[in-house]
Amino acid sequence: MILRGLLLLWIAAWIVAAFLWAPLVPVLGPTTRVLYFHIPSAWVTVLALGWSMVHSVLYLRSRNLEHDHQAAAAAEIGLLFCVAATISGSLWAKAMWGAYWNWDPRETSIFFLLLVYGAYLALRSAIDQPERRARLSAVYSAIAFVSVPFLVFVVPRIYFTLHPDPLINTRGKIDMDPRIRVVFFALLAGFTALFFWVQSVRVRVARLERRAEER
Amino acid sequence: MKGDLVVMAVALLVWGLLFWYLIRLERRVAELEKK
Repeated sequence: MILRGLLLLWIAAWIVAAFLWAPLVPVLGPTTRVLYFHIPSAWVTVLALGWSMVHSVLYLRSRNLEHDHQAAAAAEIGLLFCVAATISGSLWAKAMWGAYWNWDPRETSIFFLLLVYGAYLALRSAIDQPERRARLSAVYSAIAFVSVPFLVFVVPRIYFTLHPDPLINTRGKIDMDPRIRVVFFALLAGFTALFFWVQSVRVRVARLERRAEER
Repeated sequence: MKGDLVVMAVALLVWGLLFWYLIRLERRVAELEKK
């Protein structure tokens, strides 16, 4: 409980710092604050989908349903954070580019990512038998993750994009004001901790569901 | 500046509600695990 209380205060304090302490990027203006939410959401998406892939491979090796719970929970949470990144990105695009959606390479990539992992959840919901569901979705998740680095890191760098430089820019540096950097990394850490907390709760729910199915 | 404060308050409210929901959910899960 103490750790959870610390997380509550940590994220709340850095939200306040984002508004009252960190300066605005001149080009971005007030939309600078979107980056404190948008990039950590995108980061947690990649982390969660990677976590799902690792546990899918572990499931295929061990056939332990515990890994299936981990993989499914992480994919669900990854998809949720992907939706959060998409919505925050669209709001930012409206403010900066004048339209919510422009089919920019970044937007197209995240759209495909949503489709790929939406299909993963559809696949899981279509199979009743737990072992079969776990086996097929583990194979799907392991293969689907191959698309993640491609869609997140490669496509937006190959094609011309209006999207601002990624966090580590093409010169291999993090160009940020020191105060923006502090708030940004603090919230990145907060979002990462939030992911592991939600993941643990979701896995416990999955264990309860399995127990109920076995009865 | 006023608009900034409103957005900050909304962000804090959303975070508070999400935290409260997660705490309640975790307690419920713990109860079910005991049963």
